[in-house]
Amino acid sequence: MLAAAAVVPAQQPVKPTPRFYASAIQIELTDMGDVSIPAEFRYAIYERLIEQVRDSRLFGKVYRSGDKAANSVPDLVTLHTSLEAFDEGSQMKRELAPVAMGSTKVDVTALVTSKDGKTLLSQKVGGKVRIWGENLGATNDLAKRITKLLAGSF
Amino acid sequence: MKLNVLLSILMGAGAALAQQPDQPPSVRHVIGLETIKLNANGHLTIQNGVMQFSTKTAEAKVKASSIEDVFVGTETTQSGGTAGKVVKTAAIAAPFGSGKALTLLMRTKVDILTVVFRGPDGGVHGAIFALQKGQAESTRTQLVAAGAHISAPQTVLKDRTKP
Repeated sequence: MLAAAAVVPAQQPVKPTPRFYASAIQIELTDMGDVSIPAEFRYAIYERLIEQVRDSRLFGKVYRSGDKAANSVPDLVTLHTSLEAFDEGSQMKRELAPVAMGSTKVDVTALVTSKDGKTLLSQKVGGKVRIWGENLGATNDLAKRITKLLAGSF
Repeated sequence: MKLNVLLSILMGAGAALAQQPDQPPSVRHVIGLETIKLNANGHLTIQNGVMQFSTKTAEAKVKASSIEDVFVGTETTQSGGTAGKVVKTAAIAAPFGSGKALTLLMRTKVDILTVVFRGPDGGVHGAIFALQKGQAESTRTQLVAAGAHISAPQTVLKDRTKP
């Protein structure tokens, strides 16, 4: 007598439950600390972050630094980035030499805080442009990595 | 006959070099203006206390009085537009690195202008533009004359791009 085969429904992969929830995030300008960085890189990081986080749709609203409307959001979280290292590479070297040479690298610490100042997330993130592209392309890579980090927690 | 051809060529070249009607140089908006697409080409003008960036399909206006700082820098970018990208890709694939000389020729240095301003809601914006070499400093001067604030004078445009 054959035992009835147990029918096990195919299991869908379970998406990990986000650890935090916030309806809005405010993105602050990168704190340069003691690291010297050209102004266009600082503001490119900031603008790329705003663009990438908005496109990710992780939050209902993304506020810029200084936006007064953010003050009225009760569960607002804030993204702070602090510059750790900057190496402005060379597009010429990237095109003429092996991949390892000429990279523009930007390393930051990404910190997310709640409205009451509690640290929710803190991680070092690096952005690079290795082969193609203008040096400013490193800021796009950095912003994507930070957004991915946020997606893992929200 | 050959002389006629030569004269025709010279006349054509002369016409090509003849001064164009006054038109602001083409500027690329890298990022920062929310109503303009990234990397859109357009024209940047400063008139009546307003900085305006216009493309064929959109425009953005920023009051000079809302500008908190203006920075200039340089970047090396690729020239040639879409065709240039195709040629560059082929050059990279060329055997024994023979295409590298071509990629060198297709590099263009541009000025980078970063305009930091406050929106009506108080939010900080950093609009970044790529201009023809030598244009950023004069644009900065025009913005200051129109009412923009700057944190410190930048009398020397330093080329930080490594060779």
